Amino acid sequence: MDSNNTIGLHAAWVIPLLSAAAFLIIVFSMRLVGFFFSDRNKLAMLAPIVSITAILAGFILFWLVLLDVLNFDGGSISMAWLIVGPAEIRWGIFVDKISVAMIGLVTFISLLVQVYSIGYMKGDRHFEWYFAIHALFATAMLTLVLADNLLFLYFAWELVGLGSYLLIGFWWEKRSAAEAAKKAFITTRIGDVCLLIGIILLFRETGTFNISEIFHIAESGEINNAILNSSVLLIFIGAMGKSAQFPFHVWLPDAMEGPTPVSALIHAATMVAAGVYLVARMMPIFELAPEIMLIVMIIGLITFIFAGSMALVMNDIKKILAYSTISHLGLMMLCLGTGGVAAAIFHLIVHGIAKALLFLGAGSLMHSISNETNIWKMGGLRHRMPITAVTFFIGAASLAGLPPLAGFFSKDELLLSVLHDGQYVVFAITLLGVFLSALYMARVAIVPFFGSVPKNLAQSHESGSIIWVPLVILATLSAGVGFLILPLGSTYPGWAEFINPKHHFEIKPWLMILSIILTLIALILGWSIYVKKLVSAKQISQFIPYLHKTILNKYYIDDFYQWVIDKCILTFGRLVALFDRVVINDTVVDGSAISIYLSALKTRVFQTGYLFTYGAAMAIGASGLTILWWVLLD
Amino acid sequence: MNNLTLLLPEIFVVILGFSILTIDFFIPKNKKWILPCFAILSLTGILIFTLVFLSGKTDELYGGILRIDGYSLFFKSAFLILGGILIVSSVEYVNKNLSNQGEYYSILIFTVLAMMLMSSSGELLMAYISLEALSFGLYVLVAFDRYNIKSNEAGTKYIILGALSSAILLFGISQIYGLLGTTQFNEMADILGNTSSINPGLLIGFLFLIAGLGFKVAAVPFHMWAPDVYEGAPTPITAHLAVGSKAATFALILRFFISGLMPLMIDLQIILIIMAALTMTLGNLMALVQSNIKRLLAYSSIGHAGYLLLGLSALVSINQSGNFNLAFISNTNFVVSGIILHTIAYGISNLAAFLCISIIYKKTGHENIEDLAGIGKKSPFLSMVFAASVFSLAGLPIFAGFISKFYLFTGASMQGLIWLVAIAIFTSLISLYYYLRILKYIYIEKSKDSQQINLSVISFGLLSVLFIAMIFIGIYPAPLMDAIHHATDALSMLN
Repeated sequence: MDSNNTIGLHAAWVIPLLSAAAFLIIVFSMRLVGFFFSDRNKLAMLAPIVSITAILAGFILFWLVLLDVLNFDGGSISMAWLIVGPAEIRWGIFVDKISVAMIGLVTFISLLVQVYSIGYMKGDRHFEWYFAIHALFATAMLTLVLADNLLFLYFAWELVGLGSYLLIGFWWEKRSAAEAAKKAFITTRIGDVCLLIGIILLFRETGTFNISEIFHIAESGEINNAILNSSVLLIFIGAMGKSAQFPFHVWLPDAMEGPTPVSALIHAATMVAAGVYLVARMMPIFELAPEIMLIVMIIGLITFIFAGSMALVMNDIKKILAYSTISHLGLMMLCLGTGGVAAAIFHLIVHGIAKALLFLGAGSLMHSISNETNIWKMGGLRHRMPITAVTFFIGAASLAGLPPLAGFFSKDELLLSVLHDGQYVVFAITLLGVFLSALYMARVAIVPFFGSVPKNLAQSHESGSIIWVPLVILATLSAGVGFLILPLGSTYPGWAEFINPKHHFEIKPWLMILSIILTLIALILGWSIYVKKLVSAKQISQFIPYLHKTILNKYYIDDFYQWVIDKCILTFGRLVALFDRVVINDTVVDGSAISIYLSALKTRVFQTGYLFTYGAAMAIGASGLTILWWVLLD
Repeated sequence: MNNLTLLLPEIFVVILGFSILTIDFFIPKNKKWILPCFAILSLTGILIFTLVFLSGKTDELYGGILRIDGYSLFFKSAFLILGGILIVSSVEYVNKNLSNQGEYYSILIFTVLAMMLMSSSGELLMAYISLEALSFGLYVLVAFDRYNIKSNEAGTKYIILGALSSAILLFGISQIYGLLGTTQFNEMADILGNTSSINPGLLIGFLFLIAGLGFKVAAVPFHMWAPDVYEGAPTPITAHLAVGSKAATFALILRFFISGLMPLMIDLQIILIIMAALTMTLGNLMALVQSNIKRLLAYSSIGHAGYLLLGLSALVSINQSGNFNLAFISNTNFVVSGIILHTIAYGISNLAAFLCISIIYKKTGHENIEDLAGIGKKSPFLSMVFAASVFSLAGLPIFAGFISKFYLFTGASMQGLIWLVAIAIFTSLISLYYYLRILKYIYIEKSKDSQQINLSVISFGLLSVLFIAMIFIGIYPAPLMDAIHHATDALSMLN
């Protein structure tokens, strides 16, 4: 540990602890408040105040850490947790450029979402509990990005899973919400198990959980190649689960069942970011396994195109945004598959801000029109909700890649990274995806705000300031954060060099122009379809009826999973249950238990309660042991 | 020159014991609470003094009769803390059930002194005398409930069988002294290391020594006194028997084995393995059919003595060929740490369990498992601590018992005792049944009456401390392990 940068490091480990403390305080005060005061509502505001204070303090500390990392180089501190012979397991944190960027993203988005939630969740029955889980979720994610060893990271990883489960199923009285929470938990669980196996494999090979040490050992070529490949693949499967990559993407659209601010949080800063972060963090060993990198790229590409196509045909505003998230996560994975850590993390941040903005905007929309989510039942809302409309447009345009908004820069970086890798076919398909994403963004932004006003649209008005202030902040950032790509002053050398000093910012004018043209075509197309009605979407879909139907049904993937669960897994489960009841329970467990109990009853006879028995037992025992020893040794 | 100041902690404890006796004369009957308060404050003071004064000091007194080192410092502090806990947990029991409070507390303090001496003895006679000092204190304390016939019976059984075991022990010591010409552990190790063939008489001596010590830790077949005595003794004293007496004897055995008997361990191993297997199996098996909770815990503590014996038999590897290299020493150290850790973890869990029983007995007057029915409703906090202690004894994570069993079993399997570890794990599995049966009565069975149990501040505080300790060691054992490693290192430097 460098003695110069202790302040930043110590600030760093305080950040997750603050939120953890907030969680505990809220949970315990909930009990106490119920204990001492009959009227709980009087103190309801305590919960948001505690959790927002904690996350705000975290956000302030983030700047301290950032300054430190800019001036020095980060580092790690840890303490021993468990020492078993030669293996010492330590808890510790590791601060570097990537984790600082993630802390900034997580604390900032969580802060805005929590503030927004005060307005959005007002009057909910479990108001305090909502903020308690938010604090827990923030703790988990912050621990995840700071962990310096894989075991610790895995703990946080599971805690993130728990947080998402609790938040998605927040309205658990609603059956669909409970189902969605279970779906998210179980689907990501498959990835989690793989991740754990991967971690254990690495531990078995290297004898350490420490990430830097594992890199060191891996780079010196001491890990068997097959094991390295399989553990890297397993870690990637873990990331696929959390980051909703094909074929694990099914949980994310259903996760809409939670409150809308929760979607903003999950899609922007916490849950799904974990997978991308994990791959970025583990990039040094991914790079040692080029075959797996190829798989990462292909999975990313499939997810990008495939989710983009689904986003284009959905009618539910939150579902469109959800598929757009999956699609963008695919884009990030694709980029990571080409080794572009800086570009992927940059897009993660840009997308996080824009997506938080879009979801909070969608929440504001829904809030004012009695929770309607079908975009065709909205229209002309730009007049009634000008702030929401403008901010929503900025977010959508940023993700569509319109200059000079942030998404334009990040997308450019991503494309460059793909191009550098020399995969021209992939590059071409990526351009198609970029076109798709601009098109569905145009659709989701244009229809509710510019479309014709439906007859039975509920009365609506602009939301309160606690809701629109976060929107404006996010919109400003969404527009401006792209300039982080450029150098700022003497300490900040521009994003690419900040993440990796060997990288350099570069501009390929033809690429920029190409992507601007693609975006503009998509936007114009969107405008002419959905506003001017020059082209009918129906006619296009009639060109390709089967494809359209397939996409509308989400490629039948959910149905396929349901079929597998119903027909194969449950049948197998019933067989196992039968075996368990007859063989395991009746014969083995009960049978052996009864025989042990009987033998205990038999032994009891010797405990007579008479002194002479006891004395005799001792004498016989001592001489018996002596004789036994004699016999055994000779 | 002997630096007598190194004995100051023991001297202070003696003074404390006598001053309690003296003070007892001068205070009226309704102010007896002064005694435990004074005792606890003084013990705390002595503990702090010991930690400050003795830390880092290594010396021997009277030509090696007493050893002052990190190992004895660790156990001395542990026993001082234990003494404090026992006094606190006695306060209410003594007030309600016993007369002659002053004598009770002062004898308790003298047993603490004896335990402290046991952990620092470097010679067989000193070990024997301190062991007897402990036993004599315990004989009296077991029978302290004068008008209770069970307590009387327990005291009688304990003293007669204790005398028998002392005879066996002394016979063993005299054999050893007669044939080796020394009772010093270090000198024994030198002589044993230099002789190739071992005199059969010497073997008998060591075996009788083990038998005598086996009585103290209630190892099968020298265990039969334990259930009767545990059942009859006042509950805080039962806790003392199960925790203090056992821990002190193991502290003595460990030092004796490591610094005196290491060259002979390969030959002794088979006997220890047999005793360990018998003790684990029989203790856990018999616990299954008990209806009295104190008897149940007596058998459970016999089972735990079996796990500690498993550790002792793993001091040398099963494939050891008399070659004590560095890897050997590190493995042995690992096992020794495991034994000490398990002693501590088992001690804390058992103290908590006995304290819970003591409180329940005070309120309901019953000690049968059936009488635990419905406690979960009557006193949620007490039940939580009881459940935690039971889980810890069963060796479930996140409690201390899990870490210590894990450590112990890992060490034993590193030394190649796979089959013995298999037995240990299997008997742990059996033990789950009777531990969970306790929980079934606490939480599932309905109570016949609705009498509330209110905890006093003292009980609440002590229960919380033990509860936190169980969980803290269970999830963050590193600080305790650090201290234990220091103790172990001190022991193996003598080797």
